[in-house]
Amino acid sequence: MSDHDLIHNYSKSLTKYLARLEKTDAEEVIREIESHIYDAMELQEQEGSQSSAQSILDGFGEPRDLANRYVEHILKGTPPPKGFRAIQSVKKGMTKSLYYSMGLFGFGIGFGLIIVGLAKLFMPDMVGLWYAAEGNSVIFGIYDSAYQNSEELLGYWFIPIAITLGLGVARLTKRVLGVLKTNL
Amino acid sequence: MAKQAQFKEKSDKWDVQLRKGTLELVILAALKDRKLYGLELLKLLQSFETMKITEGTLYPLMDRLKREDLVSAVWHNEGETRPRKYYQLTIQGEKKLVVLTSRWRQSVNDIAYLIQHPGPQAIQLKETNKPRGDSNV
Repeated sequence: MSDHDLIHNYSKSLTKYLARLEKTDAEEVIREIESHIYDAMELQEQEGSQSSAQSILDGFGEPRDLANRYVEHILKGTPPPKGFRAIQSVKKGMTKSLYYSMGLFGFGIGFGLIIVGLAKLFMPDMVGLWYAAEGNSVIFGIYDSAYQNSEELLGYWFIPIAITLGLGVARLTKRVLGVLKTNL
Repeated sequence: MAKQAQFKEKSDKWDVQLRKGTLELVILAALKDRKLYGLELLKLLQSFETMKITEGTLYPLMDRLKREDLVSAVWHNEGETRPRKYYQLTIQGEKKLVVLTSRWRQSVNDIAYLIQHPGPQAIQLKETNKPRGDSNV
């Protein structure tokens, strides 16, 4: 195989393995390596020895291994690109809205449960947990008229259970918000 | 003989490890106040006994240094020759060279101190933050 064919095949193979890079970046890598090979062959001739593309290609190693060194930063993570701050501020904005909506959702459910629990004290017939439609449906909350054939499950136990659940949800929300605040 | 060969192989491995750790400093130092293209840089390094790296090590490393903005690269077409990509230090590269040079000198000093003070006498422990008088190597 002629030197020209050797170099051509090496470049072709390297191009294939550099596919993860931007096309212009990959082209620049190939251009620099080809320039090096031809320069180095000229230098070998100037030094009075037979030029050998193979010995120079050996210095570059297998195309696959060489390409891996060029693309490993893509696989392992790159230094922050230009405009990274803009991305960070968008992320910050998203984190903020996630934080507040999580707080609203969690505390909303927690306080809702506590209020429903306390409401049972004042409207015992309208508040509770019912089992209706032969087990196909469970109704929880404040209703002005109970379902037909429904059976209330908890009675006054509803009050401590709802309040405990409400406090539990609020506490859990507080902890989740704490984690969000430190990690995001 | 076999023992000598084994010892040689081990010291070669040690050379490789040392080179790995110092290559960035070596390249920044080689490019201080001069522009070099890949082959020139490679030949320069290969002329030193402990810096004989291959093309396959040099070029991806230059690519990384360029991405980290420690070196910049420009294609030049000089007369009849084919285009060559010349590398030079950026301001950031110069700053990094200063930092790495200082750490390198500190490290050489520390190792030299240990080598020069063998036992059995107890060695006087150093306060790490205090610079020593003999800091030039």
